[in-house]
Amino acid sequence: MATPAALPPLPFNPSRVRSYVLRLPLFTRLVLLAILVFWLLELQTMWSVVQWGSVIPDEVGFGTMYRLNTYPFIHLGFFHAFLNVLALTPLLERFEAEHGTLTAVALFIGPLSTLPAGLYILVEKFLLHRNTAVVGSSVWVFLLLGSEAIRTFKSNPYFSLGTTKIPTWTSPLFACALVSILVPNTSFLGHLCAILVGYLLGLGFLKIFVPPEKVLRWIEGKLNLLGRLPHYVSVDQKTYGRYGVLPTTTTGGERGTPMSFLGSSQRLGPSPNASHLMALKSVIRKLRSNPHFLFVHLPHILSFICIVAGVVWLLLLPLNDYSRQTYISENALLPGQVHAYFSGSEQHIFRGYKKELEGVLTAQTEDGQEGWNDDFTPAVSDKIQSILKATGLKVATQNYKYTSSGITHQGQNVYSIIQAPRGDATEAIVLVAAWKTVDDELNLNGVTLALTLARYFKRWSLWSKDIIFLFPPDSKAGTQAWIDAYHDMQPAFVQPLPLKSGALQGGLVIEYPFDHRFESLHILYDGVNGQLPNLDLFNTAVSITGGQMGIGTNLQEMWDHDDSYEMRLETIMRGMVKQGFGYATGPHSSFMPYHIDAITLQTKGDGWQDEMALGRTVESLCRSLNNLLEHLHQSFFFYLLMQTNRFVSIGTYLPSAMLIAGNFTIMAIALWLRTGYYPGAQQSAQAAKVTKEQAATATEKLDDKQPPAQPDASNIIERQLALPLTLVVGLHLLGLIPLYIFNNISHQYYPTATYTSILANFILPLLLAAVLSHGLNPNPQQYLLIKSFSLLILGLFLSTLATLNFSLSFMIGLLCAPLSFVNRINPHTTSRPLRYILSTLGVIFLSVLSPPVVLLVACSYFGVDLETVLTQAAFGWDVWGVWTQVVVWF
Amino acid sequence: MTVLSLLTLLFVVALSSFTSATSDYRESLDLQPLPQSALLASFNFRSNESQASFDERHFRYFPRALGQILQHANTKELHLRFTTGRWDAESWGPRPWNGTKEGGTGVELWAWIDAADDEAAFAKWITLTQSLSGLFCASLNFIDSTRTTRPVASFELMGDHPASSNLHLLHGTLPGEVVCTENLTPFLKLLPCKGKAGVSSLLDGHKLFDASWQSMSVDIAPVCPRSGECSVHIDQTVDIVLDIDRSKRPRDNPIPRPVPSDQLACDTSKPYHSDDTCYPLESTSAKGWSLTEIFGRSVSGACPLTENVDQEEPVCLRVPHEREVVVASGAVETKKPDGFTRCFTLQPSTPFDLTIPEQEVTTHVPLDEPVLSAERTIVGHGQERGGMRIIFDNPSDTNSVDFIYFETLPWFLRPYVHTLQASITGRDGLHRQVPASQFIRESFYRPAIDRERGTQLELALTIPPASTVTLTYDFEKAILRYTEYPPDANRGFNVAPAVIKLDAANGSNHPIYIRTTSLLLPLPTPDFSMPYNVIILTSTVIALAFGSIFNLLVRRFVTVEEAATLTAQTFKGRLSGKLVALRDRIKGKRAKTE
Repeated sequence: MATPAALPPLPFNPSRVRSYVLRLPLFTRLVLLAILVFWLLELQTMWSVVQWGSVIPDEVGFGTMYRLNTYPFIHLGFFHAFLNVLALTPLLERFEAEHGTLTAVALFIGPLSTLPAGLYILVEKFLLHRNTAVVGSSVWVFLLLGSEAIRTFKSNPYFSLGTTKIPTWTSPLFACALVSILVPNTSFLGHLCAILVGYLLGLGFLKIFVPPEKVLRWIEGKLNLLGRLPHYVSVDQKTYGRYGVLPTTTTGGERGTPMSFLGSSQRLGPSPNASHLMALKSVIRKLRSNPHFLFVHLPHILSFICIVAGVVWLLLLPLNDYSRQTYISENALLPGQVHAYFSGSEQHIFRGYKKELEGVLTAQTEDGQEGWNDDFTPAVSDKIQSILKATGLKVATQNYKYTSSGITHQGQNVYSIIQAPRGDATEAIVLVAAWKTVDDELNLNGVTLALTLARYFKRWSLWSKDIIFLFPPDSKAGTQAWIDAYHDMQPAFVQPLPLKSGALQGGLVIEYPFDHRFESLHILYDGVNGQLPNLDLFNTAVSITGGQMGIGTNLQEMWDHDDSYEMRLETIMRGMVKQGFGYATGPHSSFMPYHIDAITLQTKGDGWQDEMALGRTVESLCRSLNNLLEHLHQSFFFYLLMQTNRFVSIGTYLPSAMLIAGNFTIMAIALWLRTGYYPGAQQSAQAAKVTKEQAATATEKLDDKQPPAQPDASNIIERQLALPLTLVVGLHLLGLIPLYIFNNISHQYYPTATYTSILANFILPLLLAAVLSHGLNPNPQQYLLIKSFSLLILGLFLSTLATLNFSLSFMIGLLCAPLSFVNRINPHTTSRPLRYILSTLGVIFLSVLSPPVVLLVACSYFGVDLETVLTQAAFGWDVWGVWTQVVVWF
Repeated sequence: MTVLSLLTLLFVVALSSFTSATSDYRESLDLQPLPQSALLASFNFRSNESQASFDERHFRYFPRALGQILQHANTKELHLRFTTGRWDAESWGPRPWNGTKEGGTGVELWAWIDAADDEAAFAKWITLTQSLSGLFCASLNFIDSTRTTRPVASFELMGDHPASSNLHLLHGTLPGEVVCTENLTPFLKLLPCKGKAGVSSLLDGHKLFDASWQSMSVDIAPVCPRSGECSVHIDQTVDIVLDIDRSKRPRDNPIPRPVPSDQLACDTSKPYHSDDTCYPLESTSAKGWSLTEIFGRSVSGACPLTENVDQEEPVCLRVPHEREVVVASGAVETKKPDGFTRCFTLQPSTPFDLTIPEQEVTTHVPLDEPVLSAERTIVGHGQERGGMRIIFDNPSDTNSVDFIYFETLPWFLRPYVHTLQASITGRDGLHRQVPASQFIRESFYRPAIDRERGTQLELALTIPPASTVTLTYDFEKAILRYTEYPPDANRGFNVAPAVIKLDAANGSNHPIYIRTTSLLLPLPTPDFSMPYNVIILTSTVIALAFGSIFNLLVRRFVTVEEAATLTAQTFKGRLSGKLVALRDRIKGKRAKTE
């Protein structure tokens, strides 16, 4: 059969290899098995197979004649065996296929192993007087190559290289020379002997060794070998040849098909190829006659696969194969290479400063209030300023006031600058010790430590960057106000900074909110809007705390991380949730939007590390940052951490979110195509308002009658875009309303607002659906278009978002996944009560997925802080845009 | 604030000494302890050569290497500055020499070149920078057209020049240049005593470059007294502010380890004071120090080449007279009548050391308040735009300050001058937006040309008394070509400090100079592994896309049946079909083997 070359032959087809291996004939299989067995035997150390079976000219006597037969099966190692097997298999298979299994057995067990070996021993022992052992099946390879070469020579005597003509029979010699040059420890002589015997075989001088055909037939017939042995190549078969159907075959006589002389090519079996083609053709034909599958079912399947693959991909990430060990990319950092001297009498000063601050706190108590006043009062601010001034630093303050959700956050930042002794205010490092930690605890030890460090750092002359000590009264608004003002981007109610330094290169936040000693350090790294600091900073911190100081590190509140898969996955998930919400996790978060890398070091647990250990850690970290010649840029900015020393980079995790985003796009494109030139649904819908399924069957019926000329381009219909576009854009804009409401009302109304919006979410779709179906009466095409546009926007948005905030994109993608599969319930097919039940269920289901409900269920983050609300709000718009899809579809 | 600082006085004296026409050499060292345990040391070396012998290349004290360069480059007046660190005007008061002997961070060079036109002047300027680059081991050869400006009003001629000469002022800065020992050695070699004797023997690279602030300058100008012969003067200064605590640390143990707890100075009056709790008490007494401790060596006698070795008082110390000062034998101390200055003579080949013990002092050397303080910062963030903010603060309650503000911006920083805005804050803290023209009397603006020259902006400003004026303008960051980035591209790009020239105050004729700190401008920087990635990725995508699209375009997918019918329809197909049939008939074949 002439096969039309419809598909370009793939260079490598696994299925073809598989079928080739499955079709290997019996003797070839046995040889391969023997080689494998001997290789396995060689693995044990008790008995040296090589010593036993190789051809060692001096050892070969009458008692050890077996060596002349065993040596081709034995190899020196895996690669020797593997390469030989690779070369031998096609040659041997071909030989066996042509001459039959019995002939192959007779020849290869007998003369074809003993003759080369004998020749070799003759030359080696008696001519050269040497004693080199040979082993391995390469002898057969070269033997067969030699015989093939002779055959090639008969049909195709010369290679033409320019004007010179090279006889083809020399090719094995070239191969032999090449192998002996390229592969060490090959026996050139042994191969040469094999080629000589091969030439003899090819020239027909060894025919005497071939058992007569009659005998073979008799044996075969008597023993019924053909029936009993699988993969047996009959003597008869060889007469006709198995490859008579190949178009390249020349009829009759010796076959002269040229083939690669190193035997590495795979021979094309026509039968699997043809059957694959047939299958493909039938699939294409089926698709042509039934576009319903292509347009309706296939996108659903693809979308579903995308979602599943996306989730599975994420689940694979904690495995060792998909994650990487962290490493310091920026060589300038040199973490832990310096000795930290912060100890000794500095602790006395630490205690002194602490008593001084405690004195301020208790002094407030004497004013008539009960207990300590933890607030950052002007007295505290003054005390911090006076301590810093006494140290000889430049001190400045900044007042700020934010109002968010009806709550006012105000306070005064105190900060001071250690000017680099020989610097010129071009670069700076920030050290933050907030009076109150993220959890609103009093960070007395942290603040005291920062004060002590300021005094200590002042003495060093090695600083190449200014060091700024910042003491904000709280962990969220204060730093934000300061960093905004540092870049002169502050709102009106935040004072500008009177004292400034250069470009900030990094930030460190110290939190030590209790009085006892600590056990380990918890490193917070998530920034606002899911931005992350450079991984180098995190790695430096881990390397210094763990490696230099011997303090354990935790991340994402995973206190007992045993590095198991579950723990890693949980750490990733926690990180993703934090990243997805995008709120500030500590004072360091405010630095991220300005591309300043910062982390928070929190002390945790009850152990034996004291504040001096934390101080030394900070000192060492500052020294590392001080080494920086450039802004941190080497390492990753997009990563997921699963353990303090393992991470996944964006290249590995991004496909996960992209697949989920891609599912919407696939659906959108499919719907678009459906609205364009899928005439079946159109015709039938207009004619009888039958459902799509019916339409599809109708088309199928039509197809039965008419040959595949039916799905023609003549049925392309015009798309009516006005209504769907207006609706989709309008509904996305509608998202601005809740965005505005949630950002501007006072915090006590949040629960009410949430419930109202849930109600609105429930009612609005129904209203809209009613209006849509009764007032505007759109045709099915427009319904499809509405959905198509919504999904298209969603897909676009999510894939863009995935590159910025992977976690958020992933979460929204999963929440919205059902949208791809929601269809309009056709009022003409389903019965009335069923329709109501279905649509009610649908509305409830989608309402559950709506943002306010999710928000309510997940956690109420309302009114926490300006930053949270702002971040929520920034993404609220997107979230709301997503929600409108649901509105569209009911 | 009427007390004129000694340095200003000295400066006036130095200028007046330019009038002597004979070839001579003088040197001096002025030491002044500053608040916060700092010590200002001003070294000054002056020599001159008569114009006639200069032209005949007959040099006595004037360094030959420099003289030949000047003659070769037609340079009539040269000013070269090497500066590191920042002057803390808030603590240390006004600058030494009123800022005339310092430059912006890095290297600053300006010169008046005698040339026919601008192009010839620029050619000579390049010659000059290349030669000086070799002489001073500095990257002065990187002062190319993009870093060269021609200031209009910011610099004045210091010497006297014949009216016939056609002088061109060229100015260039290298804000990123790190000043270090390799610049000091050639500097010292220009001196007659080459750092072997005289006050210059104190200049040791280790101590000098451990200073908090440090400035080296070379000024060359011809001086023509009304009656007499012109002479070429060279004036070299080294000004350093040393941290006394830091400099006193021994060189073999420079690490500031925590002091042993029994040596801690604690405030014992605190109720919680105990053996392990200490509120540190910062010492109020004046620090004790000696020349050997601070500079690591003593002055190895007077330089014998100095004029009138016996009468000169090269070393002056500015501390209250009540402070005890111990000097080496042989030196003669003279107390000046102002109550704060005392000077010492040096003996040739007798080492001179000076020791001041720690002492509780009641009087302090008064420091003038700076006339103006200026701060320049880059504001905003992001890769595309930014803003410049310059804050001028006039501390005087009565006098307004007139000055020239001069800045050069690299071409890749593109300022929008129309966004220049001003605001003023009075002592009441009220912030008002006012038109910039209210402060700007005159302005000179020469826009940049990409890769050819930078922006030059000179503004004549007046700041009213007791107020703070903030000038802001926006700028855009250009995207550089791939090869234009330096190896440390992610550090950012240095923007040269702005120069502020205050008009003469207090009746003196000499202006005051202030320089802002240099700035770091982060530019959009590509990931430099990107080209590799791009090549790999685009090649792959192109190969895949082209391959498959080409394949799709030239191929037609048909089923076998369709193929058969298609083949049958064409003439060639029919013909070959006939031929095959004919051949089959001849060969007697029934059908093709399936």
